[in-house]
Amino acid sequence: MTITHEPTDILILGSGASGAAVAWRLANSDFNIVCLEQGRWIKPEEYPNEHKDWEIQARTNWAFDPNVRKLDSDYPINVDESSIDPLMFNAVGGSTVHWTAHTPRFHPSDFRVKTLDGVADDWPLTYDELEPFYDAYDALMGCSGINGDPANPPRTERPMPPLPIGPDGERMAKAFDRLGWHWWPSDSYVNSVPYRGRNACNNCGNTGLGCSRGAKGQTDVAIWPEAIANGVELRTDSRVFRVETDSDGRATGASYYDANGDVNFQPANAVVMAMNGIGSPRIMLNSMSDSHANGLCNSSGLVGKNLMFHPYAMVSGLFDDGLQTYKGALANMILSQEFYETDPDKDFVRGYTYQVARSSGPVSTACGYMFGRVPWGADHHTEFGRRFGDVTVLGVIGEDLPEEHNRVELDSKLTDSNGIPSPKVFYKLSKNSRKQLDDAVENAETALNEAGAIQVLATRFLKVAGWHLMGTARMGDDADSSVVDKWGQAHDADNIFVVDGSVFVTCAAVNPTPTIGALALRTADYIDRERSDLKS
Amino acid sequence: MPDRERNLTDSDRIVLKAVMDLVVPAVDDLPGAGEMGLAGNVEELTGRRPEYRDALSAVLDALSLDPSVRAEGGFTALEEDQRLAALHALEAAMPAKFDVFIDLIYIAYYSDERVHERIGWRSGPLQPLGWELPKFDPSVLETVSQRKPFWRKA
Repeated sequence: MTITHEPTDILILGSGASGAAVAWRLANSDFNIVCLEQGRWIKPEEYPNEHKDWEIQARTNWAFDPNVRKLDSDYPINVDESSIDPLMFNAVGGSTVHWTAHTPRFHPSDFRVKTLDGVADDWPLTYDELEPFYDAYDALMGCSGINGDPANPPRTERPMPPLPIGPDGERMAKAFDRLGWHWWPSDSYVNSVPYRGRNACNNCGNTGLGCSRGAKGQTDVAIWPEAIANGVELRTDSRVFRVETDSDGRATGASYYDANGDVNFQPANAVVMAMNGIGSPRIMLNSMSDSHANGLCNSSGLVGKNLMFHPYAMVSGLFDDGLQTYKGALANMILSQEFYETDPDKDFVRGYTYQVARSSGPVSTACGYMFGRVPWGADHHTEFGRRFGDVTVLGVIGEDLPEEHNRVELDSKLTDSNGIPSPKVFYKLSKNSRKQLDDAVENAETALNEAGAIQVLATRFLKVAGWHLMGTARMGDDADSSVVDKWGQAHDADNIFVVDGSVFVTCAAVNPTPTIGALALRTADYIDRERSDLKS
Repeated sequence: MPDRERNLTDSDRIVLKAVMDLVVPAVDDLPGAGEMGLAGNVEELTGRRPEYRDALSAVLDALSLDPSVRAEGGFTALEEDQRLAALHALEAAMPAKFDVFIDLIYIAYYSDERVHERIGWRSGPLQPLGWELPKFDPSVLETVSQRKPFWRKA
């Protein structure tokens, strides 16, 4: 028997970077809002950084990979046909719980890839149109940084000064200076000073494991308390399996399983998909009906298609000056965008960012995440001693381009614990992306050698690196070649919106969350301005 | 077929301890990882992730079934150079499982407070102490700030 709830105006599916932003924005405009989240609230004392076995938890129950973590709130993902493993977290706050909160913006050129470089497609909006929403999301989540970056347009004063770049960051910055290459302190959603009632970061290191101090921009601490205070109902342990529609194809609400395994139905005037670039197409494809024969809002056939990850390479420099490179936020020092824009002299289009990162604790050092596994046997202790606290990493974020064969489908056999079909991911690295990474590895070696590295080790391609899930319900003006319009509103139904990374047309060469958040706030602003019909 | 879900036997534990002493040998005033009594920690870790249990069982089973090892009366009856040769052969034969097995030993070893003390690592949780770092100094931007904007207008 289905449990049917009181109707609401706006039903948001997912409480992460985008869903929280929409809830917060519309709660300030008197919409009735319910958000369904398949995970639960994580208590601060549960975070691994509060426990002495934090490095073990990072490899088991707090792993980035849901196929390793296997928590009740996770769903398995079939990655047999994917060269990159998708990563995510399922709880209140979504993947902002375990992200490292490195938050650069897209460049203006990223919205005009087709016009400038003749590849992929242009976005149906510009950087200038999105800029005020970037500012708003930065303020909401709390951005540490400094303006004046010559690689980016001028921007408003950052809400907080930059995080410490540390002696290891300064060493790398000086090397970039000597080479005449760009670098800049990273924008980060990590508090460098107390901000909006949350603590400053105390440089403990592993920002990827949730922050018990509340210093990191996780939506569970940065957005949800205010949204809930303003009347939003956040319903946890609620696993949506289907968006319901009427004979006209308009959404009527969503069906979900509660913690007891009972089926519930939440009626709503509008549904907002915010379940990430794999979760949203999964549920859209699982919502076939007479009025949506190919899956929800899939008349274009593009739901699930054009999946983009950011292909990552990692180039690590080993130093011998004992700087204790594990001190400080893991991936929030400086970046270089010297090779960001298309260079006509190179044999690939678009470019890449270097995200300079620190090392971590002794287990990570020994097992080799940053610099390869320390050999076992007679030389073990000598090698471990050389590496521990002496590694700086240049992470390469390359711009992937959309290709329809990279996609998310429903698996024919694999399901989650409620029997909902799991996603199956198909992804192959393109030649263009491979050339980008090769170029980036070569240049990174130059930079690390300039910085004084005594040894450089390149991991030319990371498989467990699908942090950024994008493109699977792309936006555009043409209903035949896109799923949603420039406001995130589905072409096929005017009361269904998509606000997560699924809507990306292209993915730039930067971490996507500020852009996801800005787009979500822009969609919410549109609903507030133009869609008063969705209020009861 | 070996049962990968089984619990370790006493003889497994003796072999594991001997293997661990070769993987992470004695250093300074610390004995090898096995002699430190960390085999039990490795066994406990296998409860946290099925792949760990599978790798541990696979490596120990392979060692016990290795004809050259059996011919000498088992792993612990071998001389050190023979033990090392057996492990290297196993590493070549089943690299993925062996890698996870080595991870297990490293995780147990580098989670131990005696090891932390030796390598100069502060044991315990990362919070609430964190680490001290000097605040950001804007003067480091002196060179890069002189560069003219080079972002591509669109």
